[in-house]
Amino acid sequence: MRLVRHVAPALVCGLLWAVALRAQESTGSVTGKVVDATTQQPLANVEVALAGTPHRELSRTDGSFALNGVPAGAYRLRASRIGYGSQIQEVTVTPGGTTTAQVILAPAAAILEPVVVTGYGTQRREAITGSVSTVSAAAANVGVVNNVDQMIQGRAAGVEVIRNNGEPGAGVQVTIRGGSSISNSNDPLYVIDGVPINNVPTEPPSYGIGGTPPLPRNPLNLLNPSDIASITVLKDASATAIYGSRAANGVILIETKKGAAAGGPTIEYDSYLATASPAQHLDLVSAAQYKQVIQGQFAIWRSDSTAGIPDSLRGGLKPYAFGPTSTNWEREVTRTAVTHNHDLSFSGGSEDTRYRASLNYMKDDGVALSSALERIQGRLTATHKAFDNRLRLGVNVTTSRLNNQYLTFENRAGFEGGVFQNAVIFDPTQPVTVTDATGTHYYEVTGSTSVRNPVALAQQVTDVGNTTRTIGNTTAELDLAPGLTGQVTVGVDHAGGGRQIYYPRANPVGAALGGGLARQYDVSNSTVTVQNLLTYRRQVGEVHSFDIVGGYEYSKYTKNLFMAEGKGYFTDAFSFNNLGAAVTRNDSSWSEESRLVSFLSRANYGFKDRFFVTGVLRYDGSTKFAEGHKWALFPGLSASWHVSQEEFMRGGPFSDLRLRLGWGRQGNPGIRPYESLRILEGGTGGTYGWGDVPQTGVTPTRDGNPNLKWEQTDQYNAAVDFGLVNNRLAGSIEYYIKNTSDLILEVPVPQPAPKDTRLENVGKVRNRGVELSLDALLVSRPGLTWRSGLVFAAERNKVLDLGLHTSIRSGIVSGQGQSDQWAERIMPGYALGTFWGPVFTRVSNETQPPVAPDTAPVWRPGQQLFQCTTPSRTCVNGETRAPSADDYRVIGNANPDFSLGFHNQVNWGNFSISFLIRAVVGQDVFNNTALVYSTKGNALQGKNFLAPAGIHEPAIYSSRWIENGSFVRLQNITVEYALDLPILTRSARSARLYVSADNLLLLTGYSGLDPEVSSSNQANTDDVGLVARGIDYLSYPRSRTITGGLRVAF
Amino acid sequence: MKRRFVTTSIGAAALGALLLVPLQGCTDLAEVPSSAITPSTFFNNAAEVVAGLAGVYAQLRSTTDNNDYYSLSEVTTDEMVVPTRGQDWYDNGTWLELHGQTWSPTSPGTASFQTTAWNTAMAGVARANLLLEALPRVHAVPDSAGIKAEARTLRAFYYYLLMDLFGGVPIATETDIKPRPRSTRAALFNFIESELLAARADLPFTRNAANAGRVTKGAVDAILANMYLNAGVFTKDTAGTGATQIKAAAYNSCAGVLVAGGLDACQAAVNRVDSILASGVYQLADTFAKNFRPDNNLSPENIFVVKFIDADGLGLNFVMRSLHYSQFTPEPWNGFATLAQTYNAFDSLDQRRKIFLVGLQKNLETGVDVCERPGCAKGAPRLNFTTSIANVTRATEAEGARMYKWPIDPKHVAQNNGNDFAYFRLAEMLLIKAEAEGEGATGNPPDAPLTLVRRVRARSVPQPDTLSVVNRAVILRERLFELTGEAKRRQDLIRHGQYTQPWQFKAAGADYRVLMAIPHTKIDANPMLTQNPGYP
Repeated sequence: MRLVRHVAPALVCGLLWAVALRAQESTGSVTGKVVDATTQQPLANVEVALAGTPHRELSRTDGSFALNGVPAGAYRLRASRIGYGSQIQEVTVTPGGTTTAQVILAPAAAILEPVVVTGYGTQRREAITGSVSTVSAAAANVGVVNNVDQMIQGRAAGVEVIRNNGEPGAGVQVTIRGGSSISNSNDPLYVIDGVPINNVPTEPPSYGIGGTPPLPRNPLNLLNPSDIASITVLKDASATAIYGSRAANGVILIETKKGAAAGGPTIEYDSYLATASPAQHLDLVSAAQYKQVIQGQFAIWRSDSTAGIPDSLRGGLKPYAFGPTSTNWEREVTRTAVTHNHDLSFSGGSEDTRYRASLNYMKDDGVALSSALERIQGRLTATHKAFDNRLRLGVNVTTSRLNNQYLTFENRAGFEGGVFQNAVIFDPTQPVTVTDATGTHYYEVTGSTSVRNPVALAQQVTDVGNTTRTIGNTTAELDLAPGLTGQVTVGVDHAGGGRQIYYPRANPVGAALGGGLARQYDVSNSTVTVQNLLTYRRQVGEVHSFDIVGGYEYSKYTKNLFMAEGKGYFTDAFSFNNLGAAVTRNDSSWSEESRLVSFLSRANYGFKDRFFVTGVLRYDGSTKFAEGHKWALFPGLSASWHVSQEEFMRGGPFSDLRLRLGWGRQGNPGIRPYESLRILEGGTGGTYGWGDVPQTGVTPTRDGNPNLKWEQTDQYNAAVDFGLVNNRLAGSIEYYIKNTSDLILEVPVPQPAPKDTRLENVGKVRNRGVELSLDALLVSRPGLTWRSGLVFAAERNKVLDLGLHTSIRSGIVSGQGQSDQWAERIMPGYALGTFWGPVFTRVSNETQPPVAPDTAPVWRPGQQLFQCTTPSRTCVNGETRAPSADDYRVIGNANPDFSLGFHNQVNWGNFSISFLIRAVVGQDVFNNTALVYSTKGNALQGKNFLAPAGIHEPAIYSSRWIENGSFVRLQNITVEYALDLPILTRSARSARLYVSADNLLLLTGYSGLDPEVSSSNQANTDDVGLVARGIDYLSYPRSRTITGGLRVAF
Repeated sequence: MKRRFVTTSIGAAALGALLLVPLQGCTDLAEVPSSAITPSTFFNNAAEVVAGLAGVYAQLRSTTDNNDYYSLSEVTTDEMVVPTRGQDWYDNGTWLELHGQTWSPTSPGTASFQTTAWNTAMAGVARANLLLEALPRVHAVPDSAGIKAEARTLRAFYYYLLMDLFGGVPIATETDIKPRPRSTRAALFNFIESELLAARADLPFTRNAANAGRVTKGAVDAILANMYLNAGVFTKDTAGTGATQIKAAAYNSCAGVLVAGGLDACQAAVNRVDSILASGVYQLADTFAKNFRPDNNLSPENIFVVKFIDADGLGLNFVMRSLHYSQFTPEPWNGFATLAQTYNAFDSLDQRRKIFLVGLQKNLETGVDVCERPGCAKGAPRLNFTTSIANVTRATEAEGARMYKWPIDPKHVAQNNGNDFAYFRLAEMLLIKAEAEGEGATGNPPDAPLTLVRRVRARSVPQPDTLSVVNRAVILRERLFELTGEAKRRQDLIRHGQYTQPWQFKAAGADYRVLMAIPHTKIDANPMLTQNPGYP
């Protein structure tokens, strides 16, 4: 019986094997050496392959290679290496003979891998028909880089990366070819080593004082940038369609470093130390100016008030309200911070078994008090080949522990706020600490108008979080027949994050929250992915090549939350460690699950290495959509023509010329589970007192939409890739149109309904854009090479249709007195991120007499005036001081005209210098900080304000606060020196020292802290995930960082 | 070689199995939430039905929020104003828009207040419908008829709020979400009336202590009495001078409007009040203040209340709206004030004027003197509320008298106080009877309007009462004194044809403002809705 069990499957597979086992006779070898055309030095790690066969190898340190066991015949030998143009030559193998081939590779403009990871497989760069950008991980890992997103910034055309703020490891908004969704996520899909990851926050949210708390940090902080081998960005639909439902926002493929066999174990050590300080400061009024302004203000108030209110009612406008000192609160809450990073890795192995292990420790102290990011990460990867390289096994395991220390600041805030709001408004004449009979303690204004000492907030409030995340995947790949490979991948991703918060009694915020508030909050996210792939690659003669992938993928996502909170403590001694000691306790939990099932296929056909056609079909099913709408088909089709391969192009100016065309359709499943269902929940919203005893009840929380389906994006892409002067100048120009329809929007429903809004598929958005990337090898001589790269992107976004809705407001304005004020409006015919408000004309310097029957002047000197259209008692000569809804206009556009990234790498002897300059031009930024804190009206409540203040009345949102946000930033400059000490050359293979500076220079006319502000899908119940772009409000300051580092490889 | 072949085979078989296994089991995409419930899996037993009913009641709390029915009924009148204080309370001009009655279907005030009030009441209707739809299939629920009557009464009350603010709205008794046309206001009036009359039969006269707060026959009668008194307004869809229009500048009498049973509305109002009086369940509290204190659940006067409990999210927060930052913990918001003309309208000897805080102030919890600026710096004078507000767009922190009708609850949890809010209490019923009798109805017993009004005044004004004549104007004034802050003023001013008159910080308004604008987002969502006449 045992035999039968073995034989039955063997029979099936044996048939397939028979084909492979046959051709083991009359073989020969190809050997040779690869050298650099400029330096004539041997080149290692060049992939040498015989086209259409599985024979491929990497050249050794001395440039030599040997391909053995090659069946006799004529072949095309292809040699390719990162940073060099690939080379093809004809070779003929004779039975038992050894053919010698000399390969000379010329450096190319762009440092690009010859083989590109394209999702469920790899492709030769030549065969790619879609739009794919690759980022050199080595070149991008400079300065203080905490995550992979920072590495992409400015290096891939059409990829916009904006960090939320300057917090260590801050979250980012990454949009590829513009955000196309209004309320869904606009984040790309991240795929690490072939396994899509669920890129959701791994730590529970913050608490937030009277406003919305800061946005979560970047979930990708778990990945050590030094472990990354390559980053590939799939941009157009024909490239991403293979990821179907999740690909509407593009895909970022991350491959990690693997072990290399070449000669014995390699040990690498990489370490840096960096210091950072805030790059910009807010221009706050100093203590002396504050006193002066307030005294002047006092006089104004007395003169223009008609009521003759006694001075005793003048609030903060009184001399006795001043404190005894002078404090710059912004400087008090910031600091010079130190970051250090240590990477240790060793790799090696035999021809069959290779491994790489790495360990990373990083601690990044933020430039504001009480904020830090610490990472301890280990990674192990191993590959094993068996049965003559027919079975390939791979294991990758990453475990990372992040310790986050958070500062209590505000993302958006109303009346109250966190550290930065208080740094702005806290009275500059008051000291940080005072000493009295009870000892030295923080100065606080008791019973105040929600003004708190920001230093005390930063120091007294404890807010820490930690995540342990393990991502593991294992792959088995088996050659079933020549060209046919089966692959099984199982991936597990588990992130457990906890957050501990304590607002002590000693702090007025903690006191107001009920005598101390402690909170323990845990969230865990798990993903299990199973992938089965069958790949068939076949070269038929010299003419036809096939590359076919078919597969099945299953992913299950689970999320669990648990929160417990205690309020009211008799001591601060417990911090968050003894919730049981609280007077009142509160807890909650939640659990949700979703599943995604996919069938996928891709076929790539190549004709004579000139024409390539790729077709993609993917059929995805997700639990998140309504019954009957769960499944959707995502096709893609693209083609390329390698024009420079044609006879008629020989000898022309183009060393390389390729045309590409593509179309594809993708989806966006970025919604929460259960959105299609009518949902009831418990909680206070359904609880009511019967006889003063709470009777718990149910609240309908979602209406459910029985027709909820995929948001769908159709994308068209046309591109020209070119190389000139023997590929010393290379680039590509792309044009795309992206039409998103069936937008998932949270829209009002006809009532009666349990909830006034639900998710529906309405509306259309179109993005169009041009992308250009250009790489040049400016200088290439022995001892000096200079490579330059430019990426350019211009994108236009337009809302075409909103269904029944004429407009949707978005972008809540933050600050005291700004409730119900919205900065942006989503309207058909306009871009997402259109500012909507009254048009500011001037500050009046005259008194406009009243219009009967009113008796008060229409306006007085010093008041802000706005355009108005309909003459009335308040609208005189086209101006008013109280704009109405009819006076609102489009007053700005948060989308840039274009963006540029310019990177350079100069290698000169032992020196290498690289720098990256980024520019974003033409976007408007709403300076919410200036709107709220420029007004001296704050002085009425004893609060500080920004220096160039000219108004003494309530802040009114208008075009006055919309500024041009164009900027040029020297993102990074790095100087590296290869140590050539005799003592090192004997033992160490290389040792390099470098100095790097981040954010050294910012050129902008913008008056706020930094014009680069997050374009967030604000996760807030008030404007559910709606796109709001270009709003700058009291952000954690970005830092200027100087880094010194050392890399050694033994 | 054999061994290798065998292991390879095992590998291949395993691979094949892995390829096939998931295909069979894992294409099931049914979604079953684990931390939430769906109506189809809920409402299985008595406890779950009661939980559903609590959810219908809970929506009552929201109607008193500072951006809901309550504020629309108060801030749009001469009872309340929310001046802009320094940087604070500008809020996109919404508060001044409300007070100045300058809203439009697209204005920020409408987008906030009218939208919220609409949503709250509509959600209340929908919650009731969810329960009513499920109720017939649930077995073994004790007093199923009573629960059904409660849900219908509450649904009728939510519709009553909508009728009051907006006029006719879509009437739905099923749970499906679809566009429905507006009914006429008269049809909505009739629907509410018939629902209440039907529910009344299955409701008790009284509730025991454990069920206090649940609706009774008295609650139904009170809503009906109020509706009947306002029938001259509530049955008409437009403002104007015609017989079937709401008169913006003249009294809208209930006389001549026929209601259920062919009765004159004024007579129907009096009948309902007499039914309440005859039930013997309610008496006037011996002091005015007892109706509003944290222990006002003991007041024998309150007929239909919104129950508040001193617990997180379940309490009343009126004190937060009007008190100064330094008068309470957590810090109140220092917003809502009363107009000087309204404060001054009160007789200084009237006990009811004590609901306003003016002059030098203390912390209301600790009794400590407080200053406007924190810490009472040396030389700083005490917080001193003025009666007048000089400039409504640039008020100081201390300007304006503050309403403090619902005093703080010593057991408050943060901003949650346990005072109940009465939508209807006996004092109003007596005033309704007086007013309806003045319009020609006859009471049983036939107490004269003067007797009824004096009965209400007896506990609050010095005796003997000098009030000798009762007419419409006197009743409107008396309702102001008695019911300030109880969400009655808008209704009263409209009935008396005074809602669009000018008052402090407000110019005379157009007639059509006696009905609120339907927010444009609501018309976007349901194209079958039509805007109220007069609005763009």
